Amino acid sequence: MDPGGRLRPPVPPNRSERSTQVATQTAPPQAATPAPRVETRTRRRTPHLWAWRLAGYIFFVGSWMLLATYVFEVYILPSPTRVLSEMWEILGRGDFWENIYATLKHLFIGFTIAYVIGTAIGIAMGRSPYWDGFFHDYVMLALTTPGLVFALICVMIFGLSTWAPITAIVLTAFPHVTVNVVEGVRAIPRELQDMATSYGVDRRTQLRHIILPAVAPFLFTAVRYGFAIAWKITALTELFGGRDGVGIQIRVKFELFNMAGVLAWAFFLVTFALIMERVVLQRLERRFFRWRPKAFA
Amino acid sequence: MSTAELSRPTTEPRFARIRRALLTPRAARITAPVLFLIGWQLIAPLIPSRILPMPADVAEAMWEQLVDGTMVDAFSISILRLAAGFSVALVLGAVVGLAMGLSTRVEAFLHDFVIVGLTFPYLIWGLLVAMWFGFEGRGPFVVVVIAALPYVIINMAEGVRDVSKELRDMATSYDVPNARVLRHLVLPSLSPFFFASLRYGLANGWKGLVLAEVFAATSGAGYVINEMEEYGFFAGVIGFALWFALFSILVERLVFGRLSRRVFRWRSAAVRTEETRKVEPFEAMVD
Repeated sequence: MDPGGRLRPPVPPNRSERSTQVATQTAPPQAATPAPRVETRTRRRTPHLWAWRLAGYIFFVGSWMLLATYVFEVYILPSPTRVLSEMWEILGRGDFWENIYATLKHLFIGFTIAYVIGTAIGIAMGRSPYWDGFFHDYVMLALTTPGLVFALICVMIFGLSTWAPITAIVLTAFPHVTVNVVEGVRAIPRELQDMATSYGVDRRTQLRHIILPAVAPFLFTAVRYGFAIAWKITALTELFGGRDGVGIQIRVKFELFNMAGVLAWAFFLVTFALIMERVVLQRLERRFFRWRPKAFA
Repeated sequence: MSTAELSRPTTEPRFARIRRALLTPRAARITAPVLFLIGWQLIAPLIPSRILPMPADVAEAMWEQLVDGTMVDAFSISILRLAAGFSVALVLGAVVGLAMGLSTRVEAFLHDFVIVGLTFPYLIWGLLVAMWFGFEGRGPFVVVVIAALPYVIINMAEGVRDVSKELRDMATSYDVPNARVLRHLVLPSLSPFFFASLRYGLANGWKGLVLAEVFAATSGAGYVINEMEEYGFFAGVIGFALWFALFSILVERLVFGRLSRRVFRWRSAAVRTEETRKVEPFEAMVD
């Protein structure tokens, strides 16, 4: 289900601390017990893998540094240290928070609308072949059309307003939500539902104990993948015709040939997105679904 | 059984029959775009016409783009760039992905940077290559490589890990020649992942490409649509966007529909659904 997660190198060494900590908070005791067996295996392998990982960082950041210092001019490829100092300088300025706030506002309004619409369409498509046929081409088109096209059309129609980025986010993010929700609706175990119905279990209990547990992981994945698209299209639309936000700042820096500035703003955005995607959402997901057997995860 | 009962379906009221025909999923695929067109036609007059052009104007613009060759030129240039960039990404990604799948060290070395490659917006790559290669250089090609590469790498690495260890061991102990192991074990189990990397690599390469063409090219589909936007030729923009849409449908229906049926024809239906589910999430990671 989760390409990024499976790609992750074996569990970092401080995992054991974290899992016991979590276990003391809310976890049922049996959830924590099978863990140690896995821990010992990975811990033995961790040290040299960490060395390789570190080597990776040294290699990539080092070659960036060398290229920037000895080969390219600063307006072509600024060095990492220069980008860092630019980031530091931007942080100190007053317009940093203004722009971040504007971008986050677009992102969260747009993503919420996209999620609601995407879920509604997903449920309809998952339950009825008619709606499946109706929305199929829309979803497919929205998935495959480049973000640039949506950004340009939204800027064209809404001009320099908040609605341009928001609409562009809705158009690009909703199909990713829909695709996951459809999968989720189709994953509801019909046999269990039939059995519950014939044993006279009422709708609410069925919803709570059969439907929601089956759909929930997909709803969550939908958040993660929808979000991964949403923040990129936010910056893109802002760049082509926003009034405020990170995208506009990137455009201004680019027009001044200040590549360190472009990269500095880009790194703010990417850092925020990576923390949201890989740390906050993934961790929440793991916590929500800790009760599931490994095979489902 | 009486004849009256048999002929009942044909004697039911005509409107009921039509209604039933309209409620089939197949009809829905036609209803959807028709409703869209009607809605557009009704809404467009409410908004200043310069901003949201009428369907007829857009159709005219599309016809002009087709006749004067704008569309064909732009798309053929872009497709050539995509093909060139994607071939490089495929070769490079296959090598790196196989290495990552086979060795945990290589995986530890590269993993985080593959993720960065997956996350970094094409927008920024587009701006960077504009600075590196100028407005008429290799920029768009390079962005295709960068955009497609992580998807190829991840899928290839997954594919290698997916090759059944038991079957490999058995092949070794029965002295099956390497060529046959490759042909009958490794390649078949790699093929869905290869197919996924083709699909998502191409999709993302395409999205990165059109964006890069805005900043780092003076030709190609992305350049043309941005140009029309800047000149305020709005019917042209929407018309060109529809060409983009038709292009997607064409590729999706003709290439991927057929290709995936061919590649997976040996699989049972059950395995196929499991496989497609496995690779589904990559679809969600596009820009």
